[in-house]
Amino acid sequence: MENLKKTALFALDKMKEAGADHAQASVSEGRVEEFNVDAGEFSLIRSVFSASVGMKAIKDQKKGTGAINSLDPEDVAAAAAECVQSAEHGAEDPAVCISKKEENADFTDGALTCDKEAFLDSVIRFTEDAARDFPQIMLEQVVASYSYGRHVLANTNGVLFTEEDGSYNVSIMYSAHDGDKTTSFNYFDVETLDPHADIMELGMTRTMLERAVKELEASPFTGKFVGVAVFAPSAVPDVIDVITGSFAGDVALIEGTTPWKNSLGQQVASDCFSLSVIPNDPRVICGEKVTSDGYKSRNFDMIENGVLKSFCLSEYGSNRTGLPRAVSSSGCVEIKAGDRPLEEMIAGIEKGILVCRFSGGEPASNGDFSGVAKNSFLIENGKIGAPLTETMISGNFAEMLRRVEGVSAETLQDGSGVLPYVAFGGVTVSGKNNE
Amino acid sequence: MSDTIKKALSGCASHAEIRRQIYRTRRVAVLSGSLVTNISSKAAGACARVYRNGVWGFASIGDLSDAHVEEILRSARENAVLLDSRKPKNKGPLTLSAPAVYRAERPFQETDQKQLIDFAMALDSYIGENCPHVTSRSVAVIADCIEKELFTSEGACAHQLFPRTYVVVSLSAETDDGETVELYDIFGGGAGYFTDYYGDPAALHSAVDQLYNELMQKREGVFPEAGERLCIIDSVISGMVAHEAVGHTVEADLVLAGSVAAGSIGKTVASGLINLTDFAHTAFGEAAPLPVYADDEGVMCKDAPLIRDGVLVGYMNNLESARHFGMEPCGNARAFAFSDEPLIRMRNTAIHPGENTLEEMIASVENGYYLTKTRNGQADTTGEFMFGVTMGYEIKNGKLGRALRDTTISGVAFEMLKTVDMLSDTVHWDFAGYCGKKQPMPVSLGGPALRCKVNVGGR
Repeated sequence: MENLKKTALFALDKMKEAGADHAQASVSEGRVEEFNVDAGEFSLIRSVFSASVGMKAIKDQKKGTGAINSLDPEDVAAAAAECVQSAEHGAEDPAVCISKKEENADFTDGALTCDKEAFLDSVIRFTEDAARDFPQIMLEQVVASYSYGRHVLANTNGVLFTEEDGSYNVSIMYSAHDGDKTTSFNYFDVETLDPHADIMELGMTRTMLERAVKELEASPFTGKFVGVAVFAPSAVPDVIDVITGSFAGDVALIEGTTPWKNSLGQQVASDCFSLSVIPNDPRVICGEKVTSDGYKSRNFDMIENGVLKSFCLSEYGSNRTGLPRAVSSSGCVEIKAGDRPLEEMIAGIEKGILVCRFSGGEPASNGDFSGVAKNSFLIENGKIGAPLTETMISGNFAEMLRRVEGVSAETLQDGSGVLPYVAFGGVTVSGKNNE
Repeated sequence: MSDTIKKALSGCASHAEIRRQIYRTRRVAVLSGSLVTNISSKAAGACARVYRNGVWGFASIGDLSDAHVEEILRSARENAVLLDSRKPKNKGPLTLSAPAVYRAERPFQETDQKQLIDFAMALDSYIGENCPHVTSRSVAVIADCIEKELFTSEGACAHQLFPRTYVVVSLSAETDDGETVELYDIFGGGAGYFTDYYGDPAALHSAVDQLYNELMQKREGVFPEAGERLCIIDSVISGMVAHEAVGHTVEADLVLAGSVAAGSIGKTVASGLINLTDFAHTAFGEAAPLPVYADDEGVMCKDAPLIRDGVLVGYMNNLESARHFGMEPCGNARAFAFSDEPLIRMRNTAIHPGENTLEEMIASVENGYYLTKTRNGQADTTGEFMFGVTMGYEIKNGKLGRALRDTTISGVAFEMLKTVDMLSDTVHWDFAGYCGKKQPMPVSLGGPALRCKVNVGGR
């Protein structure tokens, strides 16, 4: 870690020497060990050794940023000079800044050594389990990786954070095939600290593969109705992206395009909907320790019982809007689980859809969206029914959040967050010949 | 090829590669008058990949010097040996029969960050002063260059530069009922350096004016009626169909994973008017937007014909899949970063033009839509696709009517393409996108306007 600290401080010195008023540097070194499965067969083992230096210089309230992947002092000095030069050419903006010193810290988290053989055994076992338990499943691609990193963030305000972490991730893309029948592909990730982990039992792996087999009987939906869309945990991140980006992110608030621009402290969702950003939660594996701005990352409640408690602003966004900075820039989110199990929640739905993957265009800034419900099932008379293809859903995300009809007791805990099933009312479901 | 690399590769019994790469990026973005992005970055490094009996070992390091060549080759070899010992496929050696030899004529040209900033600020000012109903605007200038040097154990030796420069302008406005409508467009640029395409920002004023006019039309726009409609989909969207909805399904690795194109060679998959090719470096008698001369396995690039007169005639391959299918590799194995292994990727994928004018096509539609711009698209290996449509018009009795608000189109590619009965005589390309498939990859896509039946999402 000392060499990274030395490089970060060297980069700061060089930016100051080149004329920067303020400077920030983040230096990393890392290693990835990765196993690839393609079309059901092991294809590749990949080892990546990496290093990077990111720099930010401010001169006369003008900002420049730069990045290189070398720790060589000559390269760092040249990149520092170029970064300051970029700042000089920039435009004055009173909002640009580097983080203020609060409390420096050193963090260590996760699996700091890679047990490559044991992890390979786990991945082999998973492919064999999948072939035995789900012979119709084609593992289109499995990317199983161990990532280790050491990071330093320092700036000319005296901020100095160090971080060392490591974890295992398995990304699985799959589809089901049976004779001429084939399903849409689907994918998910799981994280673990245990190289011996039973991948089939991590997160919702088994449930997802079981559902894919059921999807072999899918047929196009005909008609159109307005009903309840139950977003499975695998599809909920699409809603979260809209909430944290289009509704509460920097650009949306700076430009005033969000429907929530005047909603801080107000009801933006149903009472049963609470969303927190949880980088430090023990259920999150190697969560964010330092924000992208350079502050110690903390958990925060964004929406509590439907009331908007915080936007997701960076310090720059905060300076531009006069609204508070979010205390984490992490994407690790918990949506508070409800009291009722999924089955009970669905039992109350007369007509709806279980959305397991949403394939849609980027929604409009007001939240209007439409897209295809992939790997999804019709809900009729309180039961999960036929699997669907060529089915579109449309609506408005802001309106949907005000019409949350239920949140399940079950949650997906895949190492990156805690997500239940969420039932949204007022969603238009349409298929072929829907006039 | 350095002696160190030559010596290192000479000891390889089967196909092996060493690739050195530099990726330079410059990005500038102005958001309603504020410079919010001002980045220059450089990533350089080397990688080695070794084939052994049906599996690969790969290793990379962020260093270009010869000092690490032996180290990464050894690490790659150890990975291949480990996988071969645990999951043997016994497929024997892989060889490249005609190793590519290619050297780029034009050297790398540095771009001045100040020039990019000044250009973006000037264009932003013009929009601020001349587009009164715009509520939010952004101008981004992107100037990237990937430089690659590839060496293989069979003697392939290729040095290529892939510069790409473009300007993106996004505009937003509010409707009378307080909703936000947005539009963006790519102005100029191509596979070259900033000064190849841009000088005086005033040269883009008319393009900005046109985008603003379209936004004002969209502000007054209506939502289309949902359902299967007769549409003219313009070239940007037909290029998206070519790439997303058809192209991916005929990438041989996805064919092996069970895409809809598996077992369909020789079958009719589209109207007899449809011809589709993944072009290497030259298309329709001109340089392709993002030319590729040698791929990252050392194959000299050539066009990959995919659909001829509506019949599926080929897949896109790497060396391994070409051997599997008994096809000739056309140079589709491409890696993005130095730390990435080559995957089967598209290059310049386009539907060939037809014989009708766009005007004839619009005049032929009694009741339908003319769809002109798309924001993003996704497709499935089943061929099912969905694209966001950000601009379009009603067609009533052969004439363009009211503008449309945002909507989507969806369908199944091979079914939709069978409904094509007219193609325009002009091809337009979109070269500013990245294709996502484990790694990003700059690609271009293009096509003529198509008259076809497609599901329109409505509101």
